[in-house]
Amino acid sequence: MTAKRYGHVVNLDLFTDSYRVTGRAMVGAGGIHATLADPNSDFLEMEDAYISRIVKPGEIVASYDIVAFRKDNINFIVLQDRRDGIPVGTQHGRSVFVRGRTYPTFLTVPSFEIKGEIHHDGQLSPRAVLVSSMGRFQPIFVATASASLYPDISYSGDLILVHKERIGIFCLQESRTK
Amino acid sequence: MARIYVIDDDEQLLRMVGLMLQRGGHTVTLINSPVEGFEKIMADKPDLAVLDVMMPNMSGHDLTRKIRATKEISDLPILILTARSQEIDRSTALESGADGYLSKPVTSQELVAKIDDLLNRRSSSLSPELGVIIALYSFRGGVGQTTLSVNLAASLRRQSQKEVCLVDLSLSGSQASFHLRLTPRTSWLDLLALDSFDWGELQQHTMVHASGLRVLPAPALPQLPDILSAEKVTTLLNVVQQNAAFVVVDLPAVISPALTTPLGMADMAMQVMTPDVIAVQTAFNANRALARENVTVKYKTHVLNQTTVEAQISPAAIEKALNARIAFLIGYDANQPRALMQGVPLALTNAQSVLPTAVNRMAEVIWQRVTRRES
Repeated sequence: MTAKRYGHVVNLDLFTDSYRVTGRAMVGAGGIHATLADPNSDFLEMEDAYISRIVKPGEIVASYDIVAFRKDNINFIVLQDRRDGIPVGTQHGRSVFVRGRTYPTFLTVPSFEIKGEIHHDGQLSPRAVLVSSMGRFQPIFVATASASLYPDISYSGDLILVHKERIGIFCLQESRTK
Repeated sequence: MARIYVIDDDEQLLRMVGLMLQRGGHTVTLINSPVEGFEKIMADKPDLAVLDVMMPNMSGHDLTRKIRATKEISDLPILILTARSQEIDRSTALESGADGYLSKPVTSQELVAKIDDLLNRRSSSLSPELGVIIALYSFRGGVGQTTLSVNLAASLRRQSQKEVCLVDLSLSGSQASFHLRLTPRTSWLDLLALDSFDWGELQQHTMVHASGLRVLPAPALPQLPDILSAEKVTTLLNVVQQNAAFVVVDLPAVISPALTTPLGMADMAMQVMTPDVIAVQTAFNANRALARENVTVKYKTHVLNQTTVEAQISPAAIEKALNARIAFLIGYDANQPRALMQGVPLALTNAQSVLPTAVNRMAEVIWQRVTRRES
């Protein structure tokens, strides 16, 4: 008998060092970010997962009903709607993830470079951004991830969640985006 | 009302898409397995198929390739409908042979409009009217002939939204596909090795760019001038002409059947040159050589394409030397080297620079001429 699960299903594109995996994950009210931050599990489970190599991201090399990822090995996750990733708040108040000013950012993880925007409240510094944001994954909004060795291969999303420990270079632009 | 087969392993989505299409007035058959879907398509030959990409056992791309490789159903219009929504997924879908692509979630209006567009495109492509052949040639390299061929074909595709096929008859390696960042797995060499072929087989040897432009690539390695006989070239162009509204042919720079036959068949031949002494002299001698070979062209135009910052000779001096009018003047475009590196023809971008403006004008003139002919 399968256990009853609570939450909703989100579609996501997940990237490890060499693979792109597209599938569905069950998340709670906190979105996939909260699932990734859950200290009770080192793994993220995905259903109906379709696996492609990063160098040929359109071609599916394998598919499985259930796939588990060690959270430490996830480089980033691309989401088409930020509400699948984080709680964005209500019309009465923004959530902590989207509070503050918006700054352009550029960062690298293995095999990819990512451009987008971060929301940050307070003094701007890479350290402040990475330390003050919650969880293991940094939200980058309106973002594009391009493969470092194959710049024509890129993935765009309303939100990309980047594993903080996988970040190599982290650049910020002080001028705010309009 | 059309008979549409929808193949998706997700039962809920299958039902939802089915309802949308039924409301659009179509007869819908829902199938939850790609293997079963292929068998039913073979047996019933529907008017159109909507395929998911992520399905167990066989992906939508593999199913599309299988349909395209099966003679009886190779011309079936296919729409890929997938949760994989990245640009790379769109181009993979079109490269696999699909006619259209939509990403989930999709609205009922979007889906029905796309289906109607594909069905209309099919009925217009079945028109008995022959396509227009436009051949570009030059005996001198580096004049931007392939750049113009690719941009003109892309612009014609964009303006007409009809089937446009770019045939790269180059004997010195596959170059047109490089401009579009396509990686050919096959070429006209493999196609012409067959005893006979039809549009379905020809399609399998082509690649479809994300813009919808179909490309028949040249072989990767340089070939001897006699590799193509006049008979083979005629057969090839006849098949393409019967199925495409426009056939843009990028010709080789040597006197051979691959050059003279398409020139004889072309509705419009464009001689491309740059504003320098050697190019103009080569163009003059090329005309003499073609006259010696008794090649007659229905309608010939001259295109002056400035590929460097400065021009050596004025258009007026060139017109005087060739005793012909220059129909299209294209100034130097600094964006072109970057476009080549990125594999995106300028005619497909929103760039307002010299080259796309001129090429779009060329396509407009050709398109208006064809529209007038049809009306």
